[in-house]
Amino acid sequence: MSGFRLPGRGRVNHDRPVGFSFDGDSYQGLEGDTVASALLANGVHLMGRSFKYHRPRGVVTAGPEEPNALLGTSRGEGRSEPNTRATMQEIYSGLTTTSQNRFPSLNFDLGAVNDHLGMLFSAGFYYKTFMWPKSFWDRVYEPVIRRAAGLGVSPSEPDPDTYASRFVHCDVLVVGAGPAGLAAALSAGRAGARTLLIDEGAESGGSLLSEPQAVIDGKPAWDWLSSALDELDGMVNVTVLSRTTAIGYYHQNMVGLVQRLTDHLAEPPADAPRERMLRVRADQVVLAQGAIEKPLVFDGNDRPGVMLAGAALTYLNRYGVRVGDRPVVLTSHDSAWYTAFDLSDAGVPVAGIVDTRTDVDLDLLENARSRGIVIYTGHTASSTAGRLRVTSLRVNPILNGKAGPGVTIECDAVLMCGGWTPSLHLFSHTKGSLRWDEETRTYLPGERTEEVHIAGAGRGLWGTGAALADGADAGAKAADAAGHSADVSQFDVTGDRGGTGASNVELPTDRNPATAKAFIDFQNDVTAKDIRLAVREGMHSIEHVKRYTTNGMATDQGKLSNINGLMIASDALGRNAPEVGLTTFRPPYSPTTFGAFCGYHRGERFEVIRTTPIDPWAEENGAVFEPVALWRRARYFPQPGEDMHTAVNRECAATRKSLGIFDASTLGKIEVAGPDAVEFMNRMYTNPWTKLGVGRCRYGLLLGEDGFIRDDGVIGRLSPDLFHVTTTTGGAPRVLAMMEDYLQTEWPDLKVWLTSTTEQWATIALNGPNARKLLEPLVEGQDLSDDAFPHMSVAECTVAGFPARLFRISFTGELGFEVNVPARHGLDLWKTLMAEGAQYDICPYGTETMHVLRAEKGYIIVGQDTDGTVTPQDAGLSWAIGKAKPDFVGKRSLARPDLVASGRKQLVGLMTVDPKTVLEEGAQIVADPNQPIPMKMIGHVTSSYWSEALGRSIAMAVVEDGFERKGDTLHIPMPDKTHAAVVSGTVFYDPEGDRLKL
Amino acid sequence: MMTNAATLQDCLAATGLSGPVELRLLPEPARMALRADPAHGNALSGALRLELPTKIGDRANNDGLEVLCLGPDEWVVHTDGEGMAAVQAAFAEIYGEVPHSLVDISDRDIAIELRGAAAETLLSTGCPIDLSRIRPGHGKRTLFDSVQVVLLRDGEDLFRMEVWRSFLPHVWGLLNTANRELEVGL
Repeated sequence: MSGFRLPGRGRVNHDRPVGFSFDGDSYQGLEGDTVASALLANGVHLMGRSFKYHRPRGVVTAGPEEPNALLGTSRGEGRSEPNTRATMQEIYSGLTTTSQNRFPSLNFDLGAVNDHLGMLFSAGFYYKTFMWPKSFWDRVYEPVIRRAAGLGVSPSEPDPDTYASRFVHCDVLVVGAGPAGLAAALSAGRAGARTLLIDEGAESGGSLLSEPQAVIDGKPAWDWLSSALDELDGMVNVTVLSRTTAIGYYHQNMVGLVQRLTDHLAEPPADAPRERMLRVRADQVVLAQGAIEKPLVFDGNDRPGVMLAGAALTYLNRYGVRVGDRPVVLTSHDSAWYTAFDLSDAGVPVAGIVDTRTDVDLDLLENARSRGIVIYTGHTASSTAGRLRVTSLRVNPILNGKAGPGVTIECDAVLMCGGWTPSLHLFSHTKGSLRWDEETRTYLPGERTEEVHIAGAGRGLWGTGAALADGADAGAKAADAAGHSADVSQFDVTGDRGGTGASNVELPTDRNPATAKAFIDFQNDVTAKDIRLAVREGMHSIEHVKRYTTNGMATDQGKLSNINGLMIASDALGRNAPEVGLTTFRPPYSPTTFGAFCGYHRGERFEVIRTTPIDPWAEENGAVFEPVALWRRARYFPQPGEDMHTAVNRECAATRKSLGIFDASTLGKIEVAGPDAVEFMNRMYTNPWTKLGVGRCRYGLLLGEDGFIRDDGVIGRLSPDLFHVTTTTGGAPRVLAMMEDYLQTEWPDLKVWLTSTTEQWATIALNGPNARKLLEPLVEGQDLSDDAFPHMSVAECTVAGFPARLFRISFTGELGFEVNVPARHGLDLWKTLMAEGAQYDICPYGTETMHVLRAEKGYIIVGQDTDGTVTPQDAGLSWAIGKAKPDFVGKRSLARPDLVASGRKQLVGLMTVDPKTVLEEGAQIVADPNQPIPMKMIGHVTSSYWSEALGRSIAMAVVEDGFERKGDTLHIPMPDKTHAAVVSGTVFYDPEGDRLKL
Repeated sequence: MMTNAATLQDCLAATGLSGPVELRLLPEPARMALRADPAHGNALSGALRLELPTKIGDRANNDGLEVLCLGPDEWVVHTDGEGMAAVQAAFAEIYGEVPHSLVDISDRDIAIELRGAAAETLLSTGCPIDLSRIRPGHGKRTLFDSVQVVLLRDGEDLFRMEVWRSFLPHVWGLLNTANRELEVGL
């Protein structure tokens, strides 16, 4: 057993040794240890190297605020994590940990040369040092800085773990299970409120775990703790979660929690998620996050062995570990005196208590004297000595604010305390205001913006009794506010420890302060003199000081450094702290894995993929798919040996020659029904609908208020009061939402209702001269002849025995039908049509062929040939506007001066001079290819394809004043050469439309 | 080419999925979307032969017919094939006095049944609303992992979730992943 463990002491299990490794060496700890407590039990303080200067660093804290002891941990293949806090990671058998930011080893690190070049790396060094020569930036400075930047090594393999998430609702969420949080949960739980109590530690109890001396309701603190937890456990309305961190506090009492499920287990159950994100919507929130101890700022305050006094108390009482053989306490606050007393009582000789104050509570002095501890009141610390571990502390009496002659105290640990900072992170996330408290020289919560209560040390209270009482009160208030009737639980506490203290800037020294390495931000290596330099160089707001020095910008978000940085900046500026400000805490409160945020959304579940009823056939038949909005659609059906080009040419030719079949199920469909349906359609769409007969269809164009094209589709009238509206695939949800919005907010008087039927129907398009021949024998209840069922007709009938809505429409220019059947029959109908169509060499085609065929006819695709700035006039669709209609959405905008001015980009066709050249979609167009660069671009190519039917390329483009340029030759400069193309109309194939009239 | 998405067929064929919640796809019933002015509640109730619920989330049943109020002017009606024809006929009768929209959406949605004490927890992996506030015999239109669903609670431990057909593979996959997670127990 290791030399620094006190037998039988603490909450660790002395009967359960646990083996783990650190930097390749095997160590033994106990069940219940963190990596930090286990290493300390083995006498190891040195756990890392600092980020900038590579200074040797030891553990400073015993909690989540740890800035130094950041390790790489590995749980097997792909399961490595950088910057794991040794103070939070529990040990388990087989855990592998490594130190970071050192080469070749932690004890001997070449990067430590930076420490001696400190003058080069002063605050803002990267703004100054690497200015010249300019040519060095790309080749020297940036690569070097990039290599040095970042702490730890990111895993390089995909994360094999899974992550879970849940939504949780409760009346009262209590964050922090220390005395205040426990009391709050007891009050709320006893009142019957649905209560969730969480703590980021492995164990509930907070400060009680470190201070077992108090007696609560007649029970020793730890007995009381276990009975309180038993009581909470027994309440069905209360849930207690450990290892659960509240990472962010969002609007309307939404708090994000991350629960660590397996990182502490040697053998996690198969398939167990590693972490779970809980999105909690709480009626009331009680923040009982406690306070974080502040370091003192003096030369050498970062040497391994220098740590916070409260942390040493935790290691002693919770983990049964003494942090040294001869510790010295350095403090400006009463709390550290108790660390000295407990250590002394545990048989650890304390080398002295150094207090910057002259006026110290008499009881404390008496308690120290009775233990034989040497007291240095009114003293400062001017330096420490030791390389990889502190060996002595130099202290000086303070005389008239100045440091007198130094005395050296031999020691192997310095336990410092500069007071306590209330943990305001989550409260700050709510944008609640903070109030500067001059007496305690710290910020406290002020005005609240959410239903939140702050209890205990988090609002500056001190002591177990005060925390319990305040927590009980906050819990009762929260339960009351959530509609329960709560009694404030009462607690009787003896053996409590009071605590007051003084606040300091950097401690006075008798040495040259300009050479002092008095650290404020341990993780980012920011010293007191960096802050003063920043102020001298003109940074007067703490936000500027922060960015110039990087104080508080490390992954710990300045949990230890913010207030010290602020006090020194405010001292340097000669202004009060509130005038200098405070930087903003932002979520997450502590580093959070990407996995926790991703949750289930990875691999197949990364995003919704919608598929049609006919998709299984497409997959079986070798379709190549493409995403269209959330859908996956068959793009083309290659036969063996075919590339996309050949397959699409074949599909196009087969459709124009005989018969093509296409899955159009993704088209949006909306049922518009009611006596005012036609009036509604007149108001929404540009087209006139009144005279559209039952059984007829019309192309509809939808604009926004701005007059720009939003959507289009063919719309059929099934009865005087019923329209079957189709929309683009991607536009379906927003068109329905837009219609519903107008109906509810502008025209609530209209008797018309909307229902999405996109997925009610499977839609199969048949196109080609033989389309009717295929359908005719399968259709019952409708004569399909051109006279009885001309182009742009719709009918309800049966197709292949299935009830159907049959449209005669065409998006290819060929004789075309679209068969809608209830979705469950879609696949069967498709198979029937494929079988019956074999006699016509029926050819399934995909979206790519559909694009080519429609482009040959000049049919636009909204979103491809339009970009949200195209009007009907620009697109050559003025014919679709019902000019006699009094109004429709976008009508007034169409008369706006800028929409009728010349110079607008208009949709035209482009015929390349070289017919084999297929232009690139998106390519820019110029009038004169010989003009100097940058050229004036007058438009771009929106659609471009090889047309097998025409034996040449075709393209559409939006071009300034394009309609007036018909016949002009324009130019499309590309990297290899500049292509010439002649402006044409947009209908390239069968301009008379004869093929539709079969 | 995109990765293979689980298809509806895969879902229907899925077996051997384990977890404390029994998940199954329900046979396709007849389902209609009813939209009308709630001021005509009496006439609408008459046509349905039940008291039309007007509070969002409330349900009413009668003789194989079940109605859930989804919005101030919106209901979903469940029945079987014959029941649907009867409802359609009754509503056609009143259309002159009580204009409305009654749309067959039997094929639009697919219903998943979730049965088991952990059903509510399973749903909480994707539903942002407070599920405990949906009491047995009630329902809600809500989201499951960004997908719009209609949730009907038929018992303390029994839910139906209706999902638009194309979203089913995504929802079904998530439910099964989470059900497996419940089985693990952490």
